[in-house]
Amino acid sequence: MARHSGRGFATIEYPTGMNQNGDPSQAWIKLKPDGRVDVFAGTVDIGQGSKTVHTQIVADTLGVPYDWVTMDNSNSDSSGVCTGTFASRGTFIGGNAVRFAAERVRERILDIASKELEIDAGDLEIADGEVVAKGAPDRRISVADVAGAATYNYGELISGQGTALKPFAEISDEDGSVQVEPHSAVSYAACVADVEVDDETGEVTVTRLVQVYDVGRAINPTLVEGQIEGGAMMGLGLALLEQAYPHYPSAEHRGAEFGTYLAPALEDLPELDNVILENPSTDGPFGAKAIGEMANNAQPAAIAAAIHDAVGAWVTEYPATPERVLRAIQAKAEPRREGKRVIFDEEISLSAVSSNGGAGFLEV
Amino acid sequence: MKAVGARLPRYDGVAHVTARSVYVDDVRVPGTLVAKALRSPHHHAAIKRIDTARAKRLSGVRGVVTHEDVPNNVYGHLEALGIPADEPLLAENDVRYRGQPIAAVAAEDSDTALEALDAIEIEYEERPALFDMRNALDPDAPRMHHWGGVYPHFGPHNHRRVRKGDVEWAFDQADVIVEGVYRPQAIEHCPLETQIALVVPEAGGRLTIYSCTQAMYFSLGVVAAHLEVPLNRLKFVGGTVGGGFGGKVDTASETIAALLALKSRRPVKWRWTREEEFLASSTRAPWHIEIADAVTSDGWVLGRRTVTLHDSGAYARFSPYGVTKHAFHHTGAYTIPNLRFDGFVVFTNRVPTTAMRGFGVTSVSMAVELHMTRIAEVLGISPWELRLKNANRIGDTTANRVAMQDPSTVPVTLAAAERVGEKLGPEYAAMTADRRSGDLLPEHLVAQQAPEGAHVLGNGGGS
Repeated sequence: MARHSGRGFATIEYPTGMNQNGDPSQAWIKLKPDGRVDVFAGTVDIGQGSKTVHTQIVADTLGVPYDWVTMDNSNSDSSGVCTGTFASRGTFIGGNAVRFAAERVRERILDIASKELEIDAGDLEIADGEVVAKGAPDRRISVADVAGAATYNYGELISGQGTALKPFAEISDEDGSVQVEPHSAVSYAACVADVEVDDETGEVTVTRLVQVYDVGRAINPTLVEGQIEGGAMMGLGLALLEQAYPHYPSAEHRGAEFGTYLAPALEDLPELDNVILENPSTDGPFGAKAIGEMANNAQPAAIAAAIHDAVGAWVTEYPATPERVLRAIQAKAEPRREGKRVIFDEEISLSAVSSNGGAGFLEV
Repeated sequence: MKAVGARLPRYDGVAHVTARSVYVDDVRVPGTLVAKALRSPHHHAAIKRIDTARAKRLSGVRGVVTHEDVPNNVYGHLEALGIPADEPLLAENDVRYRGQPIAAVAAEDSDTALEALDAIEIEYEERPALFDMRNALDPDAPRMHHWGGVYPHFGPHNHRRVRKGDVEWAFDQADVIVEGVYRPQAIEHCPLETQIALVVPEAGGRLTIYSCTQAMYFSLGVVAAHLEVPLNRLKFVGGTVGGGFGGKVDTASETIAALLALKSRRPVKWRWTREEEFLASSTRAPWHIEIADAVTSDGWVLGRRTVTLHDSGAYARFSPYGVTKHAFHHTGAYTIPNLRFDGFVVFTNRVPTTAMRGFGVTSVSMAVELHMTRIAEVLGISPWELRLKNANRIGDTTANRVAMQDPSTVPVTLAAAERVGEKLGPEYAAMTADRRSGDLLPEHLVAQQAPEGAHVLGNGGGS
């Protein structure tokens, strides 16, 4: 018996927003008479932190302190459409919706401040909750006073709405081509996995994951790291542990509770080394791109490649359970060579398993 | 102070860790009934008879619903994307997976609701079931879906296609063809909060729907379509979810709870048990991916042939969308100019699969990245350099011919190499994402390049 160490890696890409677009997010914002900010957006927070990130985007777009902003995503009466929290669209598309709404509110604040200060709106800026004349910082009025003036002198509710929507991209059913980009910015990541493989038990231990993510701009680095680390554990589960049908194709033997379904736990946690790159997108809020979904995509192949590096066996049916790893080590299968073809995994292919050699699926 | 870029605490973090966040199950409305569903015990069976009369007469039972009570029973959640409907909210003539809901009851308490389920009489005629997607088009495969073995509505085709460049040329020119089969598996979403809905009939005739959905407006549309009511008849309350990961875009509990609330004129809560969450809620799809790559001995990937099967389970649900996204991204982080891709949505007698973190693309990463490592092994070259050579660059075009504006294959790969001390050849260590030229623009990559400033390749690149 021996433990063998190995290293593998993977580089991946992932798009922001629903494939083919056509997925609006809407938001609207109003100011209270003291300048405090109420944001209404339908983006559901499933734990990824969209309420936090949207609040940050609104605060900086308006130029007010973060704690002036409240976020209400609680119901469909008060919020506009948000297509949903999926397709890694919360920060980018939901974030653009609140950004666009905040830009309109900012215009209204500047317009009223311009009247109060008798200075052209273009010569004003907002920072830390104060509207200040550019180059003349003593000429100023607080956003609170602007909101008060709007409410009680000008008879205006300062408000603004924003919609982020990229038009639907038609696909050619013949060749898959499109005439417009079918998604928003694309994020990239690389993952290096170090593993140890026990050649007697087939057990694989992931000792370290080094992960690099280009997220455009980390609106909240702590939450980005949360996605990276949470995703790493889900990716580890995909690589080594989890399966709804442990004997696929059989539909039996499904785990019916946490005690009979093997999900990763803290005992599986490897050393995690996270690197965030910021190559800003041109049209995301503050240059942001997606991070949510892609965070569990790179680890499985990196870990499977590391298993091969450790013991010379390919496991291409996920997860790489001890049984599969042991069988692969024992089989030490070499690919079949036929002319210039190098053919792996023939025994699990369509041509081997289906009764008609894969007709209907192959070369259609 | 700037908020963007700051490590600010989570907006709702204190509420979460002090148990003051309000989830659906925390909402208590006096007089709320308990809902339970009668689910198919069979993987595949005809339904010959449903008799709810005895259940309805039980003391404490306030509502029983079947397909007859649903104004629009078969509604496709992605009809707006041109994906037609195939799945009934409540089964009518047949059941196609174990756990499929057939009837639901609302009762004063859980025991009564379970007793009512036992009192519903259903006559089944069991049918053979299909479980291995690879056998779906076998002549002797069990027939289980009225559309056939695979989803037939990708325009005129029964599969999503990508055709780009000249694949025959690539395979003729190749020094080596590397072929492999990759099988990402089904997994559970495992949210701590199981599927749940509380529906309260309001005095004015509206329904307030407390929902665990990940997509409030999407689910609002789904419930309104099944009930055939305007959007304003419903008020969704939610926005805070106890774990989703893609499993809470199915609107799995809201519509049936709403039907029971309308039937009983009482608030109804339907909270799935942990067992239902595991056995009757959707999973990530199993995939079967066959890749053949035409490569040169110095590591250029000239072309790729891919056949992908996506196990959709018993109904289409979001699978055609997932396979289309998979098709668009099936080259991973690399530029491959000559492509032939066929992706199938395959029906089997298992729980319908659905979205999960990385929908359609996780399977690409699991397959393509292992395949790239294998190509490097077969050629005897560095897996790092293989990837850097074929990396996406500005001006390269995707499988669907979109010009890449800011691809980061090179920066993230170089950063990872540096972090682990991987030594790369100097020409690789100096690479950037810039537009191809010189040695990095061999003849076979010229036609796929978009003109500078273009967003889509148009008709270039062959085909």
